[in-house]
Amino acid sequence: MPSRYLAAGLALAALAAPASARPVSYAGGWTLMQENNGMFSSLHTHYSPTATDSIGVYVEQNWDMDSTFTGLQYNRLVRRWNAPQSQGNLYLKLGAGLADPFGGGAAEAASFGGIAADWETRRVFVSYDVRARDFGPDESVSHAARLGVAPYVAEFGDLHTWAMLQIENHPEADEPLTFTPLLRFFKGPFLLEAGYTIEEEEFLLNWVWRY
Amino acid sequence: MKLIKTFALALSLCLSAPLAVAAPEAAAKMEAAPGEIIVANVNGLVCDFCAQSIRKTVGKEDAVQKVYVDLSKGQVRIDVKPGKSLDDETIEKLVRKSGYSLVSIDRNAAK
Repeated sequence: MPSRYLAAGLALAALAAPASARPVSYAGGWTLMQENNGMFSSLHTHYSPTATDSIGVYVEQNWDMDSTFTGLQYNRLVRRWNAPQSQGNLYLKLGAGLADPFGGGAAEAASFGGIAADWETRRVFVSYDVRARDFGPDESVSHAARLGVAPYVAEFGDLHTWAMLQIENHPEADEPLTFTPLLRFFKGPFLLEAGYTIEEEEFLLNWVWRY
Repeated sequence: MKLIKTFALALSLCLSAPLAVAAPEAAAKMEAAPGEIIVANVNGLVCDFCAQSIRKTVGKEDAVQKVYVDLSKGQVRIDVKPGKSLDDETIEKLVRKSGYSLVSIDRNAAK
């Protein structure tokens, strides 16, 4: 399966945890993003025909569920709150495709669904993300929350830096609650996150490119 | 008499020369006349990474020469190409298409 090669590439390119990157871009915009953590590595590319929808391809190699998911993902900006000094968002994420078990075996129909919410000012960022996966014989639910602070307020086009703490809950994992301090940098259309999950001793490396 | 004619000719040449030089300058100034500057006050403009969408979406409009985003003021400054125009409805549409909410529009406020 081509997805195995892609997943292998992802595994080599990655090491660590999830980014709460916004899954919908501007109308006509493309996004390429990769998330890596001790549990999974994923690659998602999507196109936004409108400012409230995006559709694309999603590949995830999940070491916790011992399978590789390859399929389509649809994201919907359900609600956005634009205020003078802040913005809040509520997203719905749906995916459908095939889950390929590690070490052979027949691929099975798989799906996932998630809800993500975030709110930010130029100084403070908070987000929450819940995702349910049904990868054939294996099912899981995970939660992730983030709290971030910008040490300085940068102007448009400058390098922006955020210090964040990500708290994740994977009820069925050996370490159900994990903490990941991370740094987020972005400049222009590029975003990069690097961190370290203390309990799992895994690095986090995520990036997003919008074009 | 001949001397007077020569002097008059020289004087007329001297007077007309600056006019001849000034004419192209004036034309050049006319060509370089700046287009309209529009400032759109926008809600939700807090994230640089996301605000790139405004620069790209508005910048794609044919009448737009340059787009500047000011996160501190929550403003988007649009420099319109000389001889072109951008109506309020189009600006509102572009801001909404970028994912933001338009509050108000100031025309030539930045001049």
